[in-house]
Parts: sequence; structure tokens; C-alpha cells
Amino acid sequence: MTTLAVRGLTKTYHRIRAVDDVSFTLTAGRTVALVGESGSGKSTIARMIAHLVRPTAGEIVLTGPDGEPVPRRAYRDHVQMIFQDPFASLNPFHTVEHHLARPLRLHGRSRDEVPHLLERVSLTPDFARRRPHELSGGQRQRVAIARALAPGAKVIIADEPVSMLDVSIRMGVLKLLGRLQREEHLAVLYITHDLATARHFSDEVLVMHRGRIVERGASDDVLTRPQDPYTRRLAAATPDPASRFSRGGLS
Amino acid sequence: MRPKLAAGLGLAGLIVLFGLIGPLLTGDPATIRDIGLTPPSGEHLLGTTLTGQDVLAQLASATRGSLWIGALVAVMATVLSGIFGIVGAYAGGAVDEVFSLFSNVMLVIPGLPLVIVITAFVPPDERGTWNIALVLAITGWAASARVLRAQTLSLRNRDYVAAARVSGEKTWRVIGVEILPNLLPVLASQFVFTVVLAILSEAGLSFLGLGAANSSTLGTMFYYAQNGFALQREAWWWFVPPGMVIALFGGALALINFGIDEIINPRLRDRPRRKRDVVAVEAEIAPVEPDAVLTVRNLNVVYQSSPPVHAVKNVSLTLRRGEILGLAGESGCGKTTLAYAINRLHRPPAEVTSGSVTFDDVDVLALEPEELREFRWVRLSMVFQGAMNSLNPVTPIRAQLQDALRTHRPSMSAPDRELRCAEMLRLVGVDPARLGAYPHELSGGMRQRVMIAMALLLDPQVMIMDEPTTALDVLVQREILNEIKRLRDELQFAVVFITHDLPLLLELSDRIAVMRDGEVVEYATAEDVYLRPEHPYTRQLLASFPSLTGDRGALIR
Repeated sequence: MTTLAVRGLTKTYHRIRAVDDVSFTLTAGRTVALVGESGSGKSTIARMIAHLVRPTAGEIVLTGPDGEPVPRRAYRDHVQMIFQDPFASLNPFHTVEHHLARPLRLHGRSRDEVPHLLERVSLTPDFARRRPHELSGGQRQRVAIARALAPGAKVIIADEPVSMLDVSIRMGVLKLLGRLQREEHLAVLYITHDLATARHFSDEVLVMHRGRIVERGASDDVLTRPQDPYTRRLAAATPDPASRFSRGGLS
Repeated sequence: MRPKLAAGLGLAGLIVLFGLIGPLLTGDPATIRDIGLTPPSGEHLLGTTLTGQDVLAQLASATRGSLWIGALVAVMATVLSGIFGIVGAYAGGAVDEVFSLFSNVMLVIPGLPLVIVITAFVPPDERGTWNIALVLAITGWAASARVLRAQTLSLRNRDYVAAARVSGEKTWRVIGVEILPNLLPVLASQFVFTVVLAILSEAGLSFLGLGAANSSTLGTMFYYAQNGFALQREAWWWFVPPGMVIALFGGALALINFGIDEIINPRLRDRPRRKRDVVAVEAEIAPVEPDAVLTVRNLNVVYQSSPPVHAVKNVSLTLRRGEILGLAGESGCGKTTLAYAINRLHRPPAEVTSGSVTFDDVDVLALEPEELREFRWVRLSMVFQGAMNSLNPVTPIRAQLQDALRTHRPSMSAPDRELRCAEMLRLVGVDPARLGAYPHELSGGMRQRVMIAMALLLDPQVMIMDEPTTALDVLVQREILNEIKRLRDELQFAVVFITHDLPLLLELSDRIAVMRDGEVVEYATAEDVYLRPEHPYTRQLLASFPSLTGDRGALIR
């Protein structure tokens, strides 16, 4: 079973600790939500796990299905990332086909799998010929999800995957991610500032504040009965019409 | 194709064709005849030179020579600028520092004098076309390198470059396949620019007698015309044609460059004005509700582009005194267009085709410019989308707040103005001591509060807030929402609050209008929208926001 363990992860920018001694484990078949406000360090963690940013201290250990640590050069076969802005994460110059065929070939698979990949994210195979500007935000994000699946990765880092999308299509994309996670037995790190989707979409929640994890636990416990004062303030600040209207009339 | 690009390509194509085919048709330019200097005639279409050489034949071979130099220099300079600009910017760190230092040093060396010095060192018989081209390329690449570097710096931080790295692409492939194609328009325009520059520089050198030995270019034509006293002998046919070729070719390439610019940046495109296709419908003015402060009736706004976009369709809304009206909708539904039209801030091609906006008893759409200026901000103010970035970064916020007072209340004394600004800041929860601060010294939430203070400064009856908290974190958003509610209760102004965040509106507003594709599909009290939504789209929007406190799991799993 593929697991990714993060231990004592720290990133310092100009003596400011953007990420401070963070540890957690991602296991197959489970979704961990990392919630926090902008500047709390959650994207930096995503970029360190995706090997885009080098940690100042700490380690990221990936264990393969055989129980052995995965060597560095094979790391990207197992760990992939979905970016926040689907309007920025697809190259405007290239077709959808290019975006999927390249990762397939880089990880020793055939480009014939492109139609199959598109089907898995609920797009028809004729999308392969199109370019990003011809797609809606939701369709783009589906292509980005397919790209992350292309190398056969079992660990997916989803950095705010729906916050740039129109509200009415967010649920569709989140449901798709949930379905893939169950079908493929993926380990997912869901990074978000939205407590409500974190609660419904994840098994475990980590609350980040100024680079540190201030509270962690099962998502229902943390978000409905928060212990940490910061988590409480976050939960209280989230707009919740249910608190204004109880079914049947004004409360 | 864009007209400028087509004209440029056509003209440049003709000149290139003349340079390629001309020399084959016009005979040997070096043939000396004993007819001397003759004006254009049937036999010699552009006349002859002092030694009886045919000017047309010379022009053809000179054009060929100049184009060849231009192309050679442009290829070499583009390769150099690509290496120093693109590779340096992508590599970053010390490599970038050294490369850009080198480009900057090259940039400040004055080009033409350096070229003259270098070419003067090379003995005339070794001064071949390639040598001259090399010298011109070495002195001409630096400016392009800087442009390419800036563009690459912006491209290398794009998410698709990061995504390519995450999928395991090698560095050279990231540069060549992901970044380079997106630089093509910039590269093309730099290339074209360098061609013109090279042809002009070479003409200058040849005119000074420092050009390539035994070459024939437009510059050498000038050189011989000058030495033959063409000007004094009034032999215009000797020097005007090469001048025309240079001018036309430069003009053609400039047109091509404009065309490329328009492709890179669609905003530069000329927008042809269209006749309006939408027939204006006179809306009957409905009776105004008794305590209404702002009434919008059957408002239609059309973007007169081709095809016209009907952005706001027959919208009717009423804002009562002290009411918070929520306007919910997704991107592109017309909610911002509606807000702008209410304030008459819409600009062509947007046009109000029919309907009315009534403020108390003022017909807003009929106001004269001067009346409109007095009306805006005094009675109806607005907090814009991304307002926290709409403060002027180079003046302290005091000056920006006082501006509104100085314009609308000219009789107010300076100490009173200061007092009023301080009072407003206190009202929105910002320490008045920060009046002297510049916008960058304040956090995003504070800047947003300053914008709200500015909107409150003149005691408006209505404030339109367009996504005022979208860019803010949830804790700051909560503070600002509480502030708005408190201010509404204290000052009794009415608010139109525009956002895509329906739960926020359900909590904040008295009534909510849900917009979709320019239409208001649902308009009811917040309670009705939440508990008894009628339109399927409203239900879909409600279902898009899972509740933090409600039952878990039904939505996703």
C-alpha cells in the first residue's frame, strides 16, 4: 500500500517560517484535508510534496506498494498534483492530447490511453483535439485531473482544486475526485480554505495557522466540535444560513 | 487575417520578391554605358548613374543585398538574445544575474559608434558580408534579450510550467516545448524589429564607406550617389528609389509588428463600431413602492459587439430604505454590468437599450453629465470588485479620502475635512492614526475598510458593493460583514451586495435576487430563497454549498 509520510517539514523564506515542523501521513484510500487561510503555508506544503520547492528541514518519505521506500527518480510516478487555477495550469499553446500524452509517455505508458483517461474524468474522447481556450473551467480542471492520473500516481495533492471554478460546477468536480479516490484507492491531500467542503470531502482534517498545524483529527470532530481557539473562530466566521433560519421559520 | 498584418505582409512580400527575382530580370547592374547620367526613360525605367549603369538593375541587386544582411543579422541576434534572455531567465539565480548583467552592459554601449570602430579595425578587403552581419548582430541583440527575459520570467512561474515539471519533463523540454511556443509572438516581433534595424545600420555603414567590400546594398547605392554628387546634379532617380525601398520595407515590417502585437494583446485591436441591432423598447414606468430609494425597471443592457451580447435582460429590482439587497450569480451572469449601469458607469460598447433607474425621484439615466457628477458618490456610492487594490499606491490614504470631500464639499475647511476622514476610519474600525499610511502599509482587510470608509464619506443613501469580500480571508470577511450590518443599523443606508457566495447573502441580506444569463430568475426574501426556493437554478446554487453544521455526507459520498 502506497503511503507518503511527512516528518518535521519546515520551509524558511528570509528567516520567516512559512511552514514550521509539520508532520502527517497520507495513506491509500483516505483523504486528508489541509485547511487554513491564505498565507498559512498550505500551498508551500503542496509544492514541497510535489518536489517543486526544496524543504529547509524535515523529510518526505514515500513507501511503495511493496513496502519499500521509493527512490527519488521514481517519485513522480507515484505523486502528482492538481493545481488551483485551471486557466493557468494548462498550456494555451498545446492540445488536451499533448497534456495527457506527455505524462503517459514520460512514465512508460502508451499514448493510446488518452481516450481512456478522458473517459475516467467524464469527458468524451473528442476533447483530445481541443485546446484549453475552447474548454470551460470545469472541463479544464477535469483535464488537469486526468493529467495527474496519467502517470498512474497513487498519491494526489489537490491544491484548492475548485476555488477558481464557478460555484455551480464545484460539487461536480469534487464528486469526480471523490469517485476516483474510491475507485483507484488513492491517497489524497485536499488543500482548501473552505471548511464546509473539507468536512464533507475528507476523513481527516489538519488546521493550519501561520505555518503550524494547530488542530487535527477526524473531520467531523474537528469542524463541528473544534477545540483550538483559532479553529473555533474559523468555524464561527464561515457563513452558515442554517444558523439564521431553522426549517419552518426564522429562528 | 487582421488588416494591418495583411497589408504589412503584402508590402514586405512584394519587396522580398523584387529582391529575389528582380536581379534575374534587370540585367547586370555593373554594366557601364557611355550615356552618362540620364533621367528615367523607356529604355532605363529608373534612369542611369553617372557611369551609365542602370539604376533599376542596381536597385534590384541592392535590395537583395540589404535583405540578405537584414535576415542574417536578425537570425544571429535572435539566437543570441534567446540564449541570454530565455535560458538566463529560466535558469534563474547566478546564471540569470551574470547573463542579464552582460545584456545590460551591451545595451548601454552606443551601437553605431562601436560598429564604426570595429569595422574600421577590419581591413577593407576582409570586410565581408558575414563579418559585417556578425558585428551588427553583436551590437544589436541586447534589447531583445531584455524583452525575452521579462517575458520568460513571467512564463516560468505559470502553473503549466510547474505542472510539466511535476509530470517529470526535462528542463530543456520545459523550455523548448512549454515556454518557447508561448514566446513565439514576442520572438517574431523582435525578429522583425531587428531586420529593420540591421538594414538601416548597414545602410548607414555603407554610406560612410565602412560596409562590406564588393557588396551591393541600398547603402552602397547612397554612397555612390553621394560621391557622384547626385543631389547637386538633381539626379533624384539615383537616390530616391533606394530611400523609398528602405522606407516602404520599414513601414511594412512596422505594420507586421502592429499585427503581431494585436495577436498577442487583443486589447490593441481596432474595434469597428456597429450599428445597434437591438431595438429599444420603451418601458412603462411602474408605480414606485412607497419607501423605495432605488427602483430599477425593465433594465436592458447590451454590449454592442458583434454579435451583440444581451448582458442584462429586463431586470426589475426595488431597494427599500435601509435594506440589504443581495445579488447572487456566477461569473458572466451580468451582475457587475447591472451595478455599473445603475451608476451609469458602463462604457461603450455597453449600452442601456431600455428601462429606467429611479433614485428617489431622480431619473438616473436622464441626468446630464454635471448632474451625474453631483449625484454619484453623494447619494449613491460604490465599492468596486477588488476594491482593496484600487487605492492609489503612491499617495497616502488621507489624500485619497480628502479628494472626495474637496470635490463634493468645496466649502468644507481643512480641519473639518481631517475630522471627517478620521471619523469615517474610526467608523469602519481602522485607527485614524493610519491616515498618513500608504496603501501598501495596510493589510488587505484594512484597505477594504478604507474603501468602505471612502464610500461612506458623503453619507450616501445607497451603497453598491461588488464582491467586496471575495479576495479576503473568512475571518476578515466576517469582520467586514459585521461592520456593514452595524453601519446599516446606525446610518440607515441601503446596500446592494453583489457576490457569488449565496450562503453569505442568505445570512446578510433582507431580500435576494438570483441572476443567471442576465435575467433575475428568483427575487424573494432571504428566508424564502433558503427555505422555499422556486427556480431550479436557485436550488442548484443552494446545493453547491455544503453546510458546515448540517448532516454530513449526503452531498458527496
